[in-house]
Amino acid sequence: MALIELQSVTKIYPLGNQEVVAVKDFSLTIDAGEFCVLAGPSGSGKTTLLNLIGCLDQPTSGDVWLDGQNITQAEQKTLADIRLNKIGFIFQSYNLIPVLTAAENAEFTLMLMGIEKNQRRNRVRQLFAELGLGGLENRKPSDLSGGQQQRVAIARAMAAQPAVILADEPTASLDSQASEELLELMKRLNEEQGATFVFSSHDPLVISHAKRVVRLLDGRLVSDQ
Amino acid sequence: MDILNLAWKNLWRNRRRTLITLAALSFSLMLIQAFHNLSYGVYSAMIDSGVRAGSGHLVVYHQGYLESRDELLTFRPGDLVQRIEQLAGVQAVLPRLYLPGLAQSSRESRGILLTGVVPEAEKKVNPFLRRLPDSEWLDSLDGREAILGSRLMKELQLKPGNKFVVTMQHRSGELVSEMFRVHGVVKTGIKNVDKSLLMVGRDRAAALAGATGTVHELAIVLDKQSDGLQVYPQLLNLVQSDPLLVGLTWEQAMPNLYNAIRLDYASQKFIFVIMMLIVTIGVVNTMLMSVMERFREFGVILAVGASAMRLRLLVVIEALLLGSVSMVIGTCLGSLATWYLQAVGIDMRTFISGTLEFGGVVFDPVLRADWDTGWMLMISFYLLVLALLAAVYPAIKAGRISPAAAMRHH
Repeated sequence: MALIELQSVTKIYPLGNQEVVAVKDFSLTIDAGEFCVLAGPSGSGKTTLLNLIGCLDQPTSGDVWLDGQNITQAEQKTLADIRLNKIGFIFQSYNLIPVLTAAENAEFTLMLMGIEKNQRRNRVRQLFAELGLGGLENRKPSDLSGGQQQRVAIARAMAAQPAVILADEPTASLDSQASEELLELMKRLNEEQGATFVFSSHDPLVISHAKRVVRLLDGRLVSDQ
Repeated sequence: MDILNLAWKNLWRNRRRTLITLAALSFSLMLIQAFHNLSYGVYSAMIDSGVRAGSGHLVVYHQGYLESRDELLTFRPGDLVQRIEQLAGVQAVLPRLYLPGLAQSSRESRGILLTGVVPEAEKKVNPFLRRLPDSEWLDSLDGREAILGSRLMKELQLKPGNKFVVTMQHRSGELVSEMFRVHGVVKTGIKNVDKSLLMVGRDRAAALAGATGTVHELAIVLDKQSDGLQVYPQLLNLVQSDPLLVGLTWEQAMPNLYNAIRLDYASQKFIFVIMMLIVTIGVVNTMLMSVMERFREFGVILAVGASAMRLRLLVVIEALLLGSVSMVIGTCLGSLATWYLQAVGIDMRTFISGTLEFGGVVFDPVLRADWDTGWMLMISFYLLVLALLAAVYPAIKAGRISPAAAMRHH
């Protein structure tokens, strides 16, 4: 069964007195365990699609299904629950909480889920070891490099073992070496743990690592390879 | 790490802003507590001085006497004095007669209020009489010695040991006169009292007016003002057997003093409210700034699965922590200030010369605070509630953030 299904989705944003069509009549199916990139230039609708899949936004028309559940008309509370339990986010500029340590950032979603402190610590210790972050648990984000911060963001996204991890331009703020390392890491997590990754990117490096590339232009599907 | 820990850390993101807000809240609380305790101390001293020299913490009158001051409205206390004295918390019961008349020396005459007292009981509690040496105090209930107000003595051009005549109306309607001798002089500092006070033994005054065995007033002085709450209902029980008698509190018997204190405190309360409002606006500003600065971060928190309610809770907890810390610091500072104001006080003699009179009562020129701990706790609690109320709008605003819009925000 498809993990993610978009059926004739259109998203229109109001912009002053005008309307901007970000995604138009877009359909897509992504199965569990995929390593998929939504590729396209700026303004092609990649982030809008990720927002729709990630329950951050709702379509103007069409349907969005996630893990067998139609989330198109779901209430905000339901969407928050889905984001917490089924989706992990990785952002372009890491977006770690600056006042928390690396370990506290990673266990943030587990805290929201009400998981007991010791369990959270164990899970984060294990993730940090896997992600090469051992020994950085008590560092503040400002004391970490960009690559390390993005790994902490991956740890946060993966901590609750979500059904899908959505990454919006995850390498945009990293240099090529850090980008390469990060992509290898995510690929390993995809292969070893079966985690589903959906990226948005226009970076050729990311596109070259993807098993499936969905190309967009002006909010429409151009190719799916 | 939990939401409380996160809220605490968030509070210290902008250390300077948080410290300024904390200082504003704490100093306001300190000022309010210290000034309230100073007023409380001064009012307590005034009330104590007023009731001891005046009509007592509680008082028994004949029906209608308080309103009319008709000297015919006397009553026979019988064993009421002894029964009231037996009540727990009662320090003294002072039977008094008040008789208007005319005092004449060989040179002058003046209108006076002849007060018939029980000398022994009166001297123990009246702060002005306590200063009199024993040799100048009244010896007996029916002697011809008299204590005069300082101004009255001066106006009558009398000296200690001089004789003078008091004339008044007897109950029979006849004018009667009696000769007295100046035995002691009292200076209360209250102009009206000092120029009309004339105190003699109760039996002598009663005999002069033809009111033997009667009194106008039973002034009841308590160990503590707060004992009034327990003693007053018991007094009413004792008094209700005689329908001609009424038992009153000092607030009812001395409305001038009571209203003067109320008016003075009302103006202070108004200032307290203004201070609290100003600091509340400061807290609203701090909380709102703090929310607006974290617009994008709140978007991330929502994106990773926090509900809007949890985000609102986070903002409210931040305000709760701010209020709680201010409450503790402010109360510590307020206690220190109260301790200083109680131990050292403020000497008003530096600023004002002469006697300090307020509401018909003279008070100590060194103003001293007194502890009103219940009120201090209450105002601390109000501060906490205000800090929480100040967080309501910022919390609502935080809860309305759309994660997708916040993520686009830079």
